[in-house]
Amino acid sequence: MKCEWVKDNIVLYVYNELADDARYELEQHLGRCPECATELKATRRFHATLSVTPVDEPTPNLLTASRMRLQEALETTSQGGLWNRLAFDPGAWLRQVRFSPALAAAIFIVGFGGGIGATYKVISKPVTPILGSETTVVPPVGEANITGISSITQEPGSNEVTIKYNTVSTQEQKGSLSDQRIQQLLLFAARNNYNSGVRMDSVDLLTQKPDDTRVREALMYALHYDNNPGVRLKAIEGLGSFVKDDMRVRDAVLGALVSDTNPGVRTQALHLLEPVKADSSVRAVLQRLAENDQNQYIRSQARTVMAQLPEID
Amino acid sequence: MPAEAWAVPITVGERTNPSDRVARGSGTQDPISRGHMAGQANRIDDTTLIRQAQQGNRAAFEELVRHYDQAVLRLALHLTGSEADAQDIFQDAFLKAYKNVVNFRFECSFYTWIYRIVTNLCLDHLRKRQVRKEDAAVSTDSEGEEYSLLDRVPDGRAAANPERDFMARELGKRINHALDRLTPRERMVFELKHYHGLKLRTVGEILNTTEETAKNTLFRATQKLRGSLSDMR
Repeated sequence: MKCEWVKDNIVLYVYNELADDARYELEQHLGRCPECATELKATRRFHATLSVTPVDEPTPNLLTASRMRLQEALETTSQGGLWNRLAFDPGAWLRQVRFSPALAAAIFIVGFGGGIGATYKVISKPVTPILGSETTVVPPVGEANITGISSITQEPGSNEVTIKYNTVSTQEQKGSLSDQRIQQLLLFAARNNYNSGVRMDSVDLLTQKPDDTRVREALMYALHYDNNPGVRLKAIEGLGSFVKDDMRVRDAVLGALVSDTNPGVRTQALHLLEPVKADSSVRAVLQRLAENDQNQYIRSQARTVMAQLPEID
Repeated sequence: MPAEAWAVPITVGERTNPSDRVARGSGTQDPISRGHMAGQANRIDDTTLIRQAQQGNRAAFEELVRHYDQAVLRLALHLTGSEADAQDIFQDAFLKAYKNVVNFRFECSFYTWIYRIVTNLCLDHLRKRQVRKEDAAVSTDSEGEEYSLLDRVPDGRAAANPERDFMARELGKRINHALDRLTPRERMVFELKHYHGLKLRTVGEILNTTEETAKNTLFRATQKLRGSLSDMR
């Protein structure tokens, strides 16, 4: 074996990439060639030098933020298939032709026409049931006409709900929780209303129907975006039972634990995540919180939960 | 989006399955077989999740993402040196995987496939950085000397020994400069081998090339780095 061959392959030897027979021969050669043995030492030293800057794991915050951003994008993304690739894509065609001014005009006209059509549809067509299917078709509330919800009250001991909402003038709707109009108004109030008391009432009532996907989404929306801590607290309580099975709920609660400004919401998030503390992202967040969270209570609670975790390999 | 980033090759690479990863992980570990990827035996098999994702089950795809996202983010973060760029690559890679998962034919392992998408995006990023000379992580100080922005990020871990911390930073800065002088492909092979511990055979599969080419590229990258850092030996 020549020294030249050894020098060409010593990097592969250090990286454990040589085949067994080549490795054996190289080791034999190193035993009797001091020059190549010196080269090996230099290569190993160089290898060690490059390893002084290890690859850090992404922070739990970055990982959680990336996951949430991806989930949001996935909601509006459809899978492509053979058909999509073969289908005529007018957008791509127009991009190629660079019809920018004409395209802008076309989008404006279509958007204007579509807007009129959509408004007409909301006003004129009956909507399908939102939650469950036990109700029959009833006249809908014209959502486009609603300017706000002024109050929500539930009859004690029943599931009858009274909602006052404003259109041009204030109107009132009465019905049970399974009534589609009531559900529509509740979902509207949870997301849109300016009055946080009303938002809290609607979120509170919606937590009675968390099995419905739209309700769950409304609760996650409230947890993420509502500026009232009381509403967020109600929302997180409603989501509690889904932390274990629904990954999106888990991420939403994890997001609240990491970035919510209210200690009460964070504490509730921490309690809800206890049953899934073994999940890698939950574990990573807990570790981070246990080490350097500004809130002493959260820090100690995170340590307590971490202490209950079994060691991983 | 450059054309190459969209060219997701699916049929290249030898047939492997998730269990192969454990066997290959001995010696030099693949990132999949350590850290976040360890202890996955009790998880639902990737194959089942892929099939469900191919039928439009988004939850299955999200579960699949969980198996690989930390490793993907780690790779993108180390290569770009920027959290924002790493997040963009992460996002683009998994969205592309979601759109194309219906075309996945199990002719290579899923992790090879997803790494192929990620490395294509990272290579694009590195090429753009080289061409435009707009290295987001490198700026010029008042004396005209380049420095890495990452070097200015305070590191809470080494506060006990400021002198050693300073030396390590200087060394890190030198190494980053030397790495930036590699071609994107050399950088990628070196990154996957040295920092992420992948076997060269796997690196070849990911980069759509042979193990022999990956070996030659690694050799070239190492020689260049030794040349750039020769006064440190």
